[in-house]
Amino acid sequence: MTARSYSGISATERAVPFVSWWSRMWSRNAPGYLFLLPWFLGFFGLTLGPILTSLYLSFTDFDLLTPPEWTGAANYVRIFTADPKFAQSMRVTLSFVLFSVPLKLAFALGVALLLNRGMRGLPIYRAVFYLPSLLGASVAIAVLWRQLFAGDGVVNEFLLMFGIEGPSWISNPRFSLWTLIALAIWQFGSPMIIFLAGLRQIPTDMYEAASLDGASKWRMFWKITLPLLTPVIFFNAIIQTIEGFKSFTPAFIISGGTGNPINSTLFYTLYLYQEAFSFFRMGYASALAWILLIIVALFTGFSFLTSKYWVHYDN
Amino acid sequence: MSVTSAAPRLTVVTGEATPAKIWRKRALSVLAHALLIVASIVMLYPLLWMLSASFRPENEIFTSTSLWPSEWSIESYFRGWTGLRIGFGTFFLNSLIISVLCIIGNLATCSLAAFAFARLEFWGRPFWFAMMLGTLMLPYQVTLIPQYVLFHNLNWVNTFLPLVVPKYLAADAFFIFLMVQFFRGIPKELDEAAQMDGCSPWRIYWKILLPLSTPVLATAAIFTFIWTWDDFFGPLIYLSDIRTYTVQLGLRTFVDSSAESDWGGLFAMSILTLVPVFVFFLFFQRLLIEGIATTGMKR
Repeated sequence: MTARSYSGISATERAVPFVSWWSRMWSRNAPGYLFLLPWFLGFFGLTLGPILTSLYLSFTDFDLLTPPEWTGAANYVRIFTADPKFAQSMRVTLSFVLFSVPLKLAFALGVALLLNRGMRGLPIYRAVFYLPSLLGASVAIAVLWRQLFAGDGVVNEFLLMFGIEGPSWISNPRFSLWTLIALAIWQFGSPMIIFLAGLRQIPTDMYEAASLDGASKWRMFWKITLPLLTPVIFFNAIIQTIEGFKSFTPAFIISGGTGNPINSTLFYTLYLYQEAFSFFRMGYASALAWILLIIVALFTGFSFLTSKYWVHYDN
Repeated sequence: MSVTSAAPRLTVVTGEATPAKIWRKRALSVLAHALLIVASIVMLYPLLWMLSASFRPENEIFTSTSLWPSEWSIESYFRGWTGLRIGFGTFFLNSLIISVLCIIGNLATCSLAAFAFARLEFWGRPFWFAMMLGTLMLPYQVTLIPQYVLFHNLNWVNTFLPLVVPKYLAADAFFIFLMVQFFRGIPKELDEAAQMDGCSPWRIYWKILLPLSTPVLATAAIFTFIWTWDDFFGPLIYLSDIRTYTVQLGLRTFVDSSAESDWGGLFAMSILTLVPVFVFFLFFQRLLIEGIATTGMKR
């Protein structure tokens, strides 16, 4: 039997020749749209509508209390020509993404490769490595991180054992962003899980055939494992990059909501939050949000376009 | 495909297994374990350190990198619990209410949408499915301000509604995606047979698909719980009355008000906010790991 859907056209209906086009369309489509009703309400009311509204607001002056006032491209002009904090927050976020994502993925892949050798104790290791990425988004972990890297924190206590007097990592602008990058890398667990699942889908007979031909482990890694894993690497890279752009809580808690020292942890999301909810410049913040949307869209589009040159697909 | 099953061993057949080769293999295995154990210690140390710090007497917290307090004290927990104008009990209750309401909403509406995408045929389905996937990649900031204006105008600020109502409109596309993946794995013959017997789509959804989908529903419920419990940004912008605070906001207030004077209390409360998530992790680890693993896989 061919795959028949719930088109709802029962035998009796089909027998009546003058059943109208409309009622057929209705019975064919109504169930799908009814099931999707909550999603449609959410999609139009909470996603599409707000996207368009924020585009409109980005061309206005709006403080939430008085109606928005059309100012043309003034917000965008100011952002690109007279707003050092925009440039700074963009730099901070891009450095964060550029360093944390590759390092996180490298750790995730490295550990996944180690674990995939059929190790004893795999479930325990996997749980230990996964736990931080499950807890990591909470305020408690940000609090912990703030203490670890404080001037009199645990990290410096350790360094002192080796006779090194460490700086106050979180209040030194040279290192503050790196503590946040370290926090992101510490949470490599969830991409690791995805890598492990991906490794398991590589057929073992490929390795057997290769080793019969006398290929070394190293060669097998470069010629089999890595190419077959590229779809998973691609997926992880996209997800982690988007997560990186959205990161907010650690920077907020560790810097006390300021992005200091000297704006070295002023994440783009943090700057946007300040503009919108500390100064109630909703129009300006909307413009910032739209710039973020365009950057993320460009990045994703670019990744998908280039993916066909390096991502290996079966067919 | 079961993700938790042991990895297939690579049986490399390169000639005979000489003693030298066996030794080399053992040495490599010991080396790998050593590496992994060191890594595990590094990964867990911060968490264990905070746990032990929460049980130390106040004067000892900063003086030690060891994980074993010289004497155990639960004083920090009492001090932290009542350290703010409103006790942490209120924050825990608020977080619990919000989380439970979000779980119900996500399970109900995401599964409806997923059923439509996975099993029903209707005009425009590929288009709407693509739209749904698109929202997965959308940075939330771009809908943030109009949503805030909307909820502000509805007078919902300082209530739980802005945090809960979106879950009843299937706003978490991730779970729709997860459920679609799962539904596609259930044999279609089942609902086709039911359809021949005159079952309506609703009955097929309710009587056939949902009962077979408890694993994915449980996964979605647990992830919803963890993400709602950990959410800081939503409560930060929508809740400003301390009586409506969630645990994350309570913790942040604690940081601002007394961090310098009462680290012990702060660590104790931090540990308490992590406990529910940790318990879920302990008991449902397999579901969580499978849930994460399937997101990266194509069927």
